[in-house]
Amino acid sequence: MSEELLINNSEKVEVELSAGEQRQIRLLSPRNLHLTIHQKQGSDLLLHAVSLADEDAHISINVFQEEPDCTTALYGLAFTRGKQVVNIETHVFHNVGHGKSSQLFKNVLADDSRVSFYGELKVLPDAQKTEAFQTNRNLLLSRSAKVETRPQLEIYADDVKCSHGATTGQLDANALFYMQQRGIPKEQAQRLLLQAFLEEVVQTIPDEKFQADVRRQINERL
Amino acid sequence: MLDINNLHATVGGKEILKGLNLHIGEGEIHALMGRNGAGKSTLSAVLTGNPAYTVTEGTVRFNGKDLLGMSPDERANEGLFLSFQYPVEIPGVSMVNFLKAALNAKRKYQGLEPLSASDFLKLKREKEKLLEITSGMQNRSVNEGFSGGEKKKNEVFQMAMLQPCLAILDETDSGLDVDALRIVAEGFNKIRTDKMSAIIITHYERMLDYIHPDYVHVLYNGRIVTTGDASLAKEIDDRGFDWIEEKYND
Repeated sequence: MSEELLINNSEKVEVELSAGEQRQIRLLSPRNLHLTIHQKQGSDLLLHAVSLADEDAHISINVFQEEPDCTTALYGLAFTRGKQVVNIETHVFHNVGHGKSSQLFKNVLADDSRVSFYGELKVLPDAQKTEAFQTNRNLLLSRSAKVETRPQLEIYADDVKCSHGATTGQLDANALFYMQQRGIPKEQAQRLLLQAFLEEVVQTIPDEKFQADVRRQINERL
Repeated sequence: MLDINNLHATVGGKEILKGLNLHIGEGEIHALMGRNGAGKSTLSAVLTGNPAYTVTEGTVRFNGKDLLGMSPDERANEGLFLSFQYPVEIPGVSMVNFLKAALNAKRKYQGLEPLSASDFLKLKREKEKLLEITSGMQNRSVNEGFSGGEKKKNEVFQMAMLQPCLAILDETDSGLDVDALRIVAEGFNKIRTDKMSAIIITHYERMLDYIHPDYVHVLYNGRIVTTGDASLAKEIDDRGFDWIEEKYND
């Protein structure tokens, strides 16, 4: 990976990945961000969007695979609380063929917080041999937290592999009881399960310093 | 060490235990037999404090303390261990972190300092060697992707690490082939001490060929209806449960 770009609080940002370029982009708790990324031939994007602040946020990530053989990997995690509202949108456009995209967004919602995830995935008629996957998983820690998840797949090419999945649930009561039966107090067991839930995203962060920072910020919210 | 008196319990509004009495002394092995639905697994759930079950009547004293007034983790830290019939998979939580958390929770409960990393490793290696477990299993998430045999072996390994004074083996034999059963039962025998007591819940006599019970109880309709020695388990193996149920039908 060559370049990195850390965007904290810009409103509108445009990025172009030139042919063959590999780039990591890290978003650390932006408040209001509309990010557009143009990918040229064979470029490789790895993006992490982390929301661990207490403010409301609106994050829109728009990726255009404009030339063949591009790879896009989007990871996101949010841990909301209080009366926080976080909206996350992804729009991934496969305009041409032989592209790959994957998305994994995981959210933990406490108190009265709200998260909406809108994931648009468009595979245009010329984008044969596209492989595109999208996953959104949400964990509700309180009865008054609310999540809205809207995966939106539009596929106009016939020779493609695409899938999406969204789940929303609570902490696994069986796992909690199992841990308590081994002597682990309930609050600690809950913390371990939450860390495990978000770790699936955290472990994909290549930059060790950023990864450690994200882990620390998650632990502060537990 | 364990005194159960007139225990009544319900799950989903249905009464499953209907006045169960059981006394277990130090170092004793008690086998609990009975058909599905007799209340065997309900008893283990109630003793360990599973929130899905409600105790409506009766008392349980554990080492002189009121067991039913404790949270599930307090019960565990008092020395009660359940080898689950269906050990739970916990993706993302490594066996090592899980074991450390459990051991240190117990030490904290006892007013001891957490184990040092090297002492933990030493203890883990010692128990792995004792039970002939490869440490590869311990690098994975708790029970995730383990075979049926591995899961039960892992329960016994956790038991070895936590050294309870009362272990409940809830249908440890279910879903195991003969070889896996022998390995798990032999593992249990290795970690057993003179002071450790156990309740072995089973449908079959097979398990008791390896772990010899001092007492065999038959549970029927939420109560213990008859108690004997190992020969009772043999008789059940030969004749089934019908004759007992006919005798105690009310």
